[in-house]
Amino acid sequence: MQDANLQRRLILDIPTGFLLLFFVMPLAALVTLSFWQTENYKIVHEWTLMNYGTLATERAYITFFLRSLVMAIGVSVTLVALSWPIAYFIVRYGGRYRIIFSLLLVIPFLSGEVLRLIALQGMLGPAGLVNGALIRMGAAPLRMIMYSNAASFIAFIYLYLPLVVTTIYLSLINFDFRLAHAASACGANRFRIFTEVVWPLNLSGTIVGFMLAFIPTLSASLVPRFLGGPNGTLYGMSMAQQFGESGTWALGAAMGVVLFLFSAIALAILSYGVDLRRTGFTGLGRQ
Amino acid sequence: MSNTSSYIRIDKVSRRYGAFKALDDVSLDISKEEFIAILGPSGSGKSTLLRLIAGLDRPTEGRIHFEGKDVTELAPHKRGIGMVFQEFLLFPHRTVRENLAFPLRMRNEAKAEIEERVEWVAGILSLSTMLDRYPSQLSGGQQQRVALGRGLVARPTLLLLDEPLANLDRELRQEMEIEIRRYQKQLGIPFIYVTHNQEEALSMSDRIAVINNGRLEALGERQAIYDHPQTPFVARFVGKSSKFQGVVQPDGATVRLARHDYEFALPPDKKFNPGDAVEIFVKNERFDISSKQDGGVGIPSTVVDVVLRGPFLEYVLETDRGDTVIAVKPKRNDPIPIRERVLLSWNPADCHIFKDGADDARR
Ligand SMILES: Nc1ncnc2c1ncn2[C@@H]1O[C@H](COP(=O)(O)OP(=O)(O)OP(=O)(O)O)[C@@H](O)[C@H]1O
Ligand SMILES: [Mg+2]
Repeated sequence: MQDANLQRRLILDIPTGFLLLFFVMPLAALVTLSFWQTENYKIVHEWTLMNYGTLATERAYITFFLRSLVMAIGVSVTLVALSWPIAYFIVRYGGRYRIIFSLLLVIPFLSGEVLRLIALQGMLGPAGLVNGALIRMGAAPLRMIMYSNAASFIAFIYLYLPLVVTTIYLSLINFDFRLAHAASACGANRFRIFTEVVWPLNLSGTIVGFMLAFIPTLSASLVPRFLGGPNGTLYGMSMAQQFGESGTWALGAAMGVVLFLFSAIALAILSYGVDLRRTGFTGLGRQ
Repeated sequence: MSNTSSYIRIDKVSRRYGAFKALDDVSLDISKEEFIAILGPSGSGKSTLLRLIAGLDRPTEGRIHFEGKDVTELAPHKRGIGMVFQEFLLFPHRTVRENLAFPLRMRNEAKAEIEERVEWVAGILSLSTMLDRYPSQLSGGQQQRVALGRGLVARPTLLLLDEPLANLDRELRQEMEIEIRRYQKQLGIPFIYVTHNQEEALSMSDRIAVINNGRLEALGERQAIYDHPQTPFVARFVGKSSKFQGVVQPDGATVRLARHDYEFALPPDKKFNPGDAVEIFVKNERFDISSKQDGGVGIPSTVVDVVLRGPFLEYVLETDRGDTVIAVKPKRNDPIPIRERVLLSWNPADCHIFKDGADDARR
């Protein structure tokens, strides 16, 4: 009896403690800081809403935020649209090479994000692979992909594509394609098989993939710093600057809270907007 | 294609998986309004054949025609079929109602029509109280009924049923057998009914196709398949029977059992050479049991048990050589008592005789 109790406490308490220590505490600290002020690189312990006021009224921050939001939505939607055919192809036609394909997807993760961004900078920059080749052929370089939002967009796609493909791949590999057969025997054409059966039954996996791209894109700071150029500042990058060069930590903390809330809202909309049972989600068990 | 009377023509169809032949050169003509049962043991290729007819799979060789039109390459949804899957394959994200409505929606039926049909099919399958549940909230038998309903609901031009009653209890199964049969007559379309249950095949179908190891062993009216099996496999598989080994005697006209002291005359239509080893199959209900005192001929045996099976009595007999034989007789008020010594015999015209090893020779 004693033992079982101890075991249960261990199973419950350790993760709870872990969550408290590394997730709730920092978040609480962040929230608290966001209601204080920073003056001359010092924290002033005075409760105020000024940081949020600044974020809500100053044009630059609003622009950064909207730019981040549009970027995150655009990137995630594009990624889902790209990943579906890739994952579908691997699952349906990969045969016994499926394992190799799925491992190939993971290879980019083996190097760090910074390294990959520098490589990408080399590809997209003024003297990079693409524009260098264009110039050598006597053509004008593509300005669009040099230090611009388009460059950031390409970078996000490049960074998160393996992640989203892998998520959707895992969803599809567990999908029973005989259900597609059943639909087709019921008179469904390919389009309806997809919309009525394949898509809804892989929606939860797709949403996870979407969120895995959406959240880091929304708060990204490295990508715009390396590739975004003068008009490419994103919210997360600006936030990083508050903690770094400008030393306005309290404002940075408020930006962090805004990002957290937005990611949480996006998650809530997607998970409450979707009736899990209608996605064939079986984690609910028999009820 | 030349044969206009056949509604569905399966022409020398084979399906290979690598070197393995799941179906081997099967030809079958099915006419409109026919109820045909595909009977065979597990792994014999029944589901494979259905999948080919449905278009879910392509034959390695051979063609399939519907009403004279070659449909071998035609997509399943253009074939106008209904299908009930052995594994149910209900849509887990849709309620029972939506599962039943699915084939109707795919055929773009009007809303009112869809509702009416779903009500109808839910009625005959006793599913009306669970229309709003999800498949995961149903028992196996209930899921099977939904699968059956989804196949029946849309008035297809051909219905393929893969063991649609396997998970139902006996009472419900008999009810469904009658219901399916009635529906088939009402629709006037062919039903292809896969089963490994010979009673189901015998009670429902017009014709039976027996397949074994991917090959068509027999095809014919159910009575003919039952009474005149053309191969040892069919003799063994259709109906319940006992097998004996025997040798054709030098006169070429009588057979003597190898293990028992019993001889009987060869039926005149059976031609064997003297000395041929033969297999003899006797249906359980075709045995004659006579009392030892009557002084007839037969295999000396002892009654070990008497089992009551509805209107029949099942005598479990043990021959003096130690083999167990089951003989079925109509119920009587004075059954032969247990431990009684009896003689077991049969009318030579009622047994099926094949040359020994005939099954292997055909492979
Ligand atoms: N995709 C496949 N790859 C290889 N072999 C297969 C495949 N599908 C079926 N088979 C083989 O083909 C044979 C026929 O299978 P099928 O499913 O048609 O049997 P069945 O008659 O329906 O049996 P059951 O009564 O058990 O359902 C089996 O031996 C099976 O192992
Ligand atoms: Mg089968």
